[in-house]
This record gives sequence, structure tokens and C-alpha cells, in this order.
Amino acid sequence: MTVVPAQQSGGGGGSSGLYDVLELVLDRGLVIDAFIRVSLVGIEILKIDVRVVVASVDTYLRFAEACNRLDLESGSNKSPGLPEIVGEVTESGARGKSKGALSGAAETISDAFKQSREEGREKETESRPRARKSTASRRKEEQE
Amino acid sequence: MSTYVYGITDSSHTGLPEGMEGVGDPPAAVRVIKEGDLAAVVSDAPEGLKPKRKHLLAHQNVLAEAGAAGAVLPMRFGSVAPDDDTVTGVLAERSDHYKERLRALEGKVEYNVKATHDEEAVLHRVMSENPELRALAEANRQSGGGSYDDKLRLGEMVVGAVKAQEGEDAAELRRILEPAAADVSVGPESTGWLTNVSFLVDRKTAEDFLAAVEEARRSHPHVELRVNGPLPPYSFVEPDPSQHAESGVGQETALE
Repeated sequence: MTVVPAQQSGGGGGSSGLYDVLELVLDRGLVIDAFIRVSLVGIEILKIDVRVVVASVDTYLRFAEACNRLDLESGSNKSPGLPEIVGEVTESGARGKSKGALSGAAETISDAFKQSREEGREKETESRPRARKSTASRRKEEQE
Repeated sequence: MSTYVYGITDSSHTGLPEGMEGVGDPPAAVRVIKEGDLAAVVSDAPEGLKPKRKHLLAHQNVLAEAGAAGAVLPMRFGSVAPDDDTVTGVLAERSDHYKERLRALEGKVEYNVKATHDEEAVLHRVMSENPELRALAEANRQSGGGSYDDKLRLGEMVVGAVKAQEGEDAAELRRILEPAAADVSVGPESTGWLTNVSFLVDRKTAEDFLAAVEEARRSHPHVELRVNGPLPPYSFVEPDPSQHAESGVGQETALE
């Protein structure tokens, strides 16, 4: 998960979250009719579009594709029994193929399903809920 | 020479650091003009000012400094008065209104929270929670990806599930964070984020708010939270925050 540190006031902050702040500078704040506003024509920082219609064919196809990839990553030719699929997804996520956020979520799924599937793989039984931050390092130790 | 206005403060405001620089190239010197109980933080307005990053940052910096010393009503970027007298005229004319706003915002800062989904993580999540979706995805996969119509059907269902999850997460985030804030202002919707909400937070309890943010991060690992603050209260300069809400997503219920 991306953690953007909160900006300190006074110093002007770093570039992290700059765009998020500039959105406020440009779009909120007091407007007084008696004052003129500088033209914002040609501004490239502001990319706030109204939420476009998400329900397009392209979007559907992209998500269908994403789902297929998701399943393929679990690399299964086995029986499509439900817990198995989830277990495999979990495993592939936990293996660290993808970003931290993904393995974090995969562990969440793992946690959720653990109660109904106690005989899971060793890796998963080792990982405990609510201790996600240190899981990666712990896993490394366990493998040694 | 026209006058660039950064914000409005109380005239008893302790002022800005020496040599504070504002917008412009080279940067204009920031000064304070007073009218009765109120003051405006201003500088000369540069010719042909454009909304470039450095000017936007200068505007934000001046307000951050002013806000550190006392309540300030931040102007939107690019507010230019024909001259200083016009500024003092406006202060005099709407004195009661601005004083009320300054009192309401005394000791408070804005934290803006934007949330996005980690796409893969959220797909994992909706798939794990939705047997029908899983079955459909599995059927498609077994038939080598499925027909065009199969893909559309799956995609439509997934998009629906993800959107439902967005709404659910936006509501949950707000439920977690709102108790630690004095007021809430819902920002514009965009494809860039699933929620964009500003919270007005008492400086003294800012730690409680940040603790709530951490709680939200822990409980929603598939959501990426971007938190910016403390900031001048850009989103709370007008009394009724509901006018900032542009959609039905946020039911505006100020805590007070």
C-alpha cells in the first residue's frame, strides 16, 4: 500500500501529494465577486474530469481480461472447487510476484477463508491476521 | 498595480515571517493590509500570472504560514483585486460574515483524503466475496477466455461489483474518519479516486484523526489512502459544506 506521509504546514511540503493539494488550491477556497480571477486556461495540472460513464464495452472487456489474468496467475489446471481457487490465488499473491498491496489483500482473503479451511498450506497457516507489515520478513525467516 | 489576495485573517493575526515571498517571477513581497478587525494577506499582482506550479505552491506556502499563526480564510488561487482599496472595501462590506467564518475555523485545519482501489487487490476481493462471479470467471477461463458476449457479461458484473465496493468503501472510510473531525466536505467525483473528502480537524485532536486514518488503512488494505494536511481550510470557507458536494454520494451531515 502506498503511504503518503502527511505534509507539514509551513515548509511547503515535498512533491508527494502535491497534485492532491493543488487541486484544492485551484478548486476550493474563497471566491469574492469583486475580484477578478486569473485565467486558468491551459492549465495542465488539473485533470479533474467528471466521472465518465464507467459502463462502457471497453471497460467491461478490460475487467473481464483482468479477471482472466487474475485466475491465470493462480496457474490452475486442477478442479475448480471453490476453496482451491482461493487458496491458489492466495499462494500466488503471497509468493511476492506482485506488489505489496496485492499480497496484503491476498492475505486478507486467506484470513477470511482460513476458518473454513484449516488444513491449508504451511505458508498460510504461519501468516497471522492483523500483522501484515512484518509478514514479508517473517516469511523470509521461515523459509530459511 | 492590481492586488493579489491570498487570504483573510483577523487584524490581530500575528503576521507572517519577514521576507515572505508570494506569487510571481521574481516573487512579489507579501504584505498585510488592515480594515477594522480584519486583514488581508496580499502582494502586488504580477502581470500575466498563469497557474503554474511554482505560483500555486507560492499561494499555498503563504497560506500555510499565515495559517500557522492563526485562523485564515484561504482565497482560491488567482484572486486579483484592482487595487488595495477594493480589498479593504470588501473586508468592510462583509466584515460580519468573515469574522464569523474566522471564529468558526479558529484552531482548525483541513485534511484532504483521497482513496483509490488497488485494482488487483479489489478484484481479488470482489471475486472472493461473490460466488456467481467466480463461477462465471472460471467458466470463461475454461473455455479459453470465453466468447465476446461471455466476456462482456463477466466484465459488466465485475464492474458492477467493483463500483459497489467503491461505494461501500467510501462510506466506510467516512464512517471511520468522520468522528475524529469537526466537519466534512465532499469533493468532486472523478475517475481518479473512489472518494475525495476533506475533513475539518481541530489542531489539538489532529493525532486522533491521523490515528483514525491508520485504522482505515489497516482495515481496508485493498484501498490506497492519500492524506494531505494540515492545510488551510480551503473547503470550509463557506458556512454550508453541502454546497461542495456535487453528487448524491455524500449525505452531508455535519457533526455539529
